[in-house]
Amino acid sequence: MEYFKSGLKSVLGAPQPGQQPSGADTVERLIQRVQTSTLLEDRRDACRALKALSKTYRLEVGAHGMDTLCYELVQDRNDSETIGYTLDALCNVLSPETFEEEEERGTDSVGGQFTEIFIKQSQNVTLVLEMLEEFEFHVRWPAVKLLSSMLAHRAREVQELVLTSPMGVSKLMDLLSDSREVIRNDALLLLISLTKGNANIQKIVAFENAFDRLFEVIASEGGLDGGIVVEDCLLLMYNLLRANPSNQNFFKEGSFIQKLTPMLQPGSEDGWAAQRAANCHALLQVLRTLVAPANPAQATSACQQIMRGSGLLGSLSDSLMASGVPADVLTETVCAVAEVMRGCGENQTFFSQVMAPSNPPRPALVVLLMSMVNEKQPLALRCAVLYCFQCFLHRNQDGQAQLAQTLLPATTEQVSGVTSGTLLCGGLFSPDTLTNWFSCVALSHSLVDNPGTKEQLLRVQLAPAEGHPGVHLLPQCLALLQQAQRPQTRLGLLQLLAQWLAHCSAAVGHLLSTPNAVAHLTAVVCDVSEEELVRGLSAFVLGLCVAFNDDAVVSFGRLALVQLINKRIGTEAFLDRVADVTRHEAYAKAAKHPQPTAATVADLLLDHEFCRLLKALENVVARAVAPKPEEVVEQVGSAQYKVLIRQQDEQLAQLSRQLSQVTVERDHLAAQVSQLAAQVAQLRDQNSVLKAAADEGGLQARVAELQQQVAKAAADQEDLLELMDDQEAKLTKYRNRLKQLGEKVEDDDEVEDEVAALTAQVVIN
Amino acid sequence: MSYAYLFKYIIIGDTGVGKSCLLLQFTDKRFQPVHDLTIGVEFGARMITIDGKQIKLQIWDTAGQEAFRSITRSYYRGAAGALLVYDITRRDTFNHLTTWLEDARQHSNSNMVIMLIGNKSDLEGRREVKREEGEAFAREHGLIFMETSAKTAANVEEAFINTAKEVYEKIQEGVFDINNEANGIKIGPQHSPTNPSLPSGGQGGMQGGGCC
Repeated sequence: MEYFKSGLKSVLGAPQPGQQPSGADTVERLIQRVQTSTLLEDRRDACRALKALSKTYRLEVGAHGMDTLCYELVQDRNDSETIGYTLDALCNVLSPETFEEEEERGTDSVGGQFTEIFIKQSQNVTLVLEMLEEFEFHVRWPAVKLLSSMLAHRAREVQELVLTSPMGVSKLMDLLSDSREVIRNDALLLLISLTKGNANIQKIVAFENAFDRLFEVIASEGGLDGGIVVEDCLLLMYNLLRANPSNQNFFKEGSFIQKLTPMLQPGSEDGWAAQRAANCHALLQVLRTLVAPANPAQATSACQQIMRGSGLLGSLSDSLMASGVPADVLTETVCAVAEVMRGCGENQTFFSQVMAPSNPPRPALVVLLMSMVNEKQPLALRCAVLYCFQCFLHRNQDGQAQLAQTLLPATTEQVSGVTSGTLLCGGLFSPDTLTNWFSCVALSHSLVDNPGTKEQLLRVQLAPAEGHPGVHLLPQCLALLQQAQRPQTRLGLLQLLAQWLAHCSAAVGHLLSTPNAVAHLTAVVCDVSEEELVRGLSAFVLGLCVAFNDDAVVSFGRLALVQLINKRIGTEAFLDRVADVTRHEAYAKAAKHPQPTAATVADLLLDHEFCRLLKALENVVARAVAPKPEEVVEQVGSAQYKVLIRQQDEQLAQLSRQLSQVTVERDHLAAQVSQLAAQVAQLRDQNSVLKAAADEGGLQARVAELQQQVAKAAADQEDLLELMDDQEAKLTKYRNRLKQLGEKVEDDDEVEDEVAALTAQVVIN
Repeated sequence: MSYAYLFKYIIIGDTGVGKSCLLLQFTDKRFQPVHDLTIGVEFGARMITIDGKQIKLQIWDTAGQEAFRSITRSYYRGAAGALLVYDITRRDTFNHLTTWLEDARQHSNSNMVIMLIGNKSDLEGRREVKREEGEAFAREHGLIFMETSAKTAANVEEAFINTAKEVYEKIQEGVFDINNEANGIKIGPQHSPTNPSLPSGGQGGMQGGGCC
């Protein structure tokens, strides 16, 4: 009826005052009725009428009725019908849309202004959140829509208000389990806008089992083949995980990554409906956010391991090689594969072994590179392949070496057909500048932080045609650099050279001994008509030739180059050219993220790794080209010092080896000494003990012996004395007999003496 | 990776009592003397074994600062266990326990197991709260009590595991309704009864959502 009335008005013109109540008057009267009526039925009717008028007379209802409507939410809280009308009316007033029937089309932000007024009273938001607990459809649904409208206008404030109202987020989460699909789906949309950019809400939503709920909804809607609700679920998942390490950890720990794998299985039947493509795209976004290069390395690598282990990387590789995949999905899949293997050795090895189902079978990497150097492929896909290849080589010394191997003579004969190396070298000569650029940048990544491949590529020879003598790759690049007109090709070549020369004196030597190379670079740096970036990069390459110069090329020794730069370009100007690069828009863009992105072909100028190199070596180059006076002296002698230092290093190493040897020996000897000392002491003790024992025993024996001797001697003496007495008696007898016989007897004394002598002898014995 | 049960925990208590350090010690077995202030909530997880069953603990470490109180309150409802932590060297953190407990009891489900933890037991010399006081408080409010040191790892394992044991016992006694995920308990994928997900049972749970 109201619609009819307003239609009439627009046809007949505004009614004359006094004739008929104007819309504004009606609204005013209805508001008064809500405020003053004592009967619930009257208030309900008035609310219903206000709801009906709230589109046409949005301004009036909003401006005059806001407070009344808010109050009504409290006053008649138990009457769900009234509350339903009230919420509907508020929904219209706060809506971000502009209604057709709206009478005074205000500015676009009418809804925004009313939202601002509405949320100024924070209890209003709490009130609406409480309405969510009401099961009645015509209360719960408008409450969800009202919150969505508020979020559309004032996301940040409403997020904070939801956080501060008790269990606000929990109430919203319960809506995902509502059996009425309209409410569940609108709640999904509400949660998507509620979680955007607010880590605290994201965490609470995750805590409230959001991932479980979402996987349930996705499964019930038929997985990736399901409708837009599946996409919404995945978008919410993405919101919850993006740049939120805590939720990512929760997702990983809750084994949710494993639930993503089966979803990637090929679709049920014929091909790719638009919605399946959108769902798949959203799914790939979800898994990419788990392994984003910006995440903490530890978290990323844990997710990468799980993704390989659960077969997700395998499924991704399969869908990469499947036919009929829409271009944007394919592009996103390539990027996903890239990030799942970036810097993760096992995953890189896994992917290097994936074969494309072509005839003859080729490695998937080669097939991808073929589309990169094919100018007919979409730009986004080519960029994605470059990114994938870069991620494959990122911190992958084996992969880098393998690429170099495919270019070395020994193996090229064995491996017939296309290899990644030959594709890229071929790309250098392509007439398409973007192919040149892609090939240069891809090749340069085989050199990043890898002294081995820098040396290997120096040995690579290219034969421009059958039978021609080969030309080495580096001089070939320099020749291309001098021939090329277009900046994109030249920038590609200069970046390749820069990666090559950095920390590699051999490469610098090769460049300096190539005729015209230095002259060309110097000329470009001086040429005002050249592109800023080309001049800057040329200067940087020249600077690298100074910084990593080992004075092997006599005519372009370090000092000679410094003087040349100073004379021809001027040191200040030279450094300004290098600094120009870092101030360039392209530099800021490329340095920000490892993934190369471009809206148009011309946007691709600088590579992320190159920007990192430039940042790291800018100062090194500056110091090499403009040394302080005392440094000049040092530099002149630095080669000698280097030799000296190397010798001293060797000496030092030798001496320390000797020292350690001697130390070991000494320790050994010291041990021996102490052992011997212990032995000696032991022996000495033993000895003295034995000696003591021996002394005691000997003396006793000797005493006994001597006593025996003495006893024997005494006995002998006794015998002798007896014998002597006998003899004396005999003598006396014989003497007497002789006397008697008249014989002259010898001197008595003589006999006496003889006897005395005998006696003495006996005594002595 | 598979588990019989999954329990959700929260760690609450004043700022600076060592909540994040307790979690780090439990999940990573390391101690960080200087720890950034927790903003909002941080997540950690670990597997333990009770009664021969694998149990996954998902732990939300909350910010102790008053400013985050309304955020951290959102985590009470869905948790099966809570570690309420104070610092034995700071009496005020002990004095605030009543407020914390009221908050927890008001917002959580009534069966939530609460473990009272006096942390920093390695700093005996600076002790301000006696062990007996902690014990008395726990007895009075029906909590389990333990003194821990996140620095030396003393009792840290025990604190988390004993809480889990208590939850586990309550499940065995049938106190927890394990099919209602709002209790902070989930049955492992292969341990669920006949149908693993209960999509149609959501409505009842949703209506009774405001059970606390």
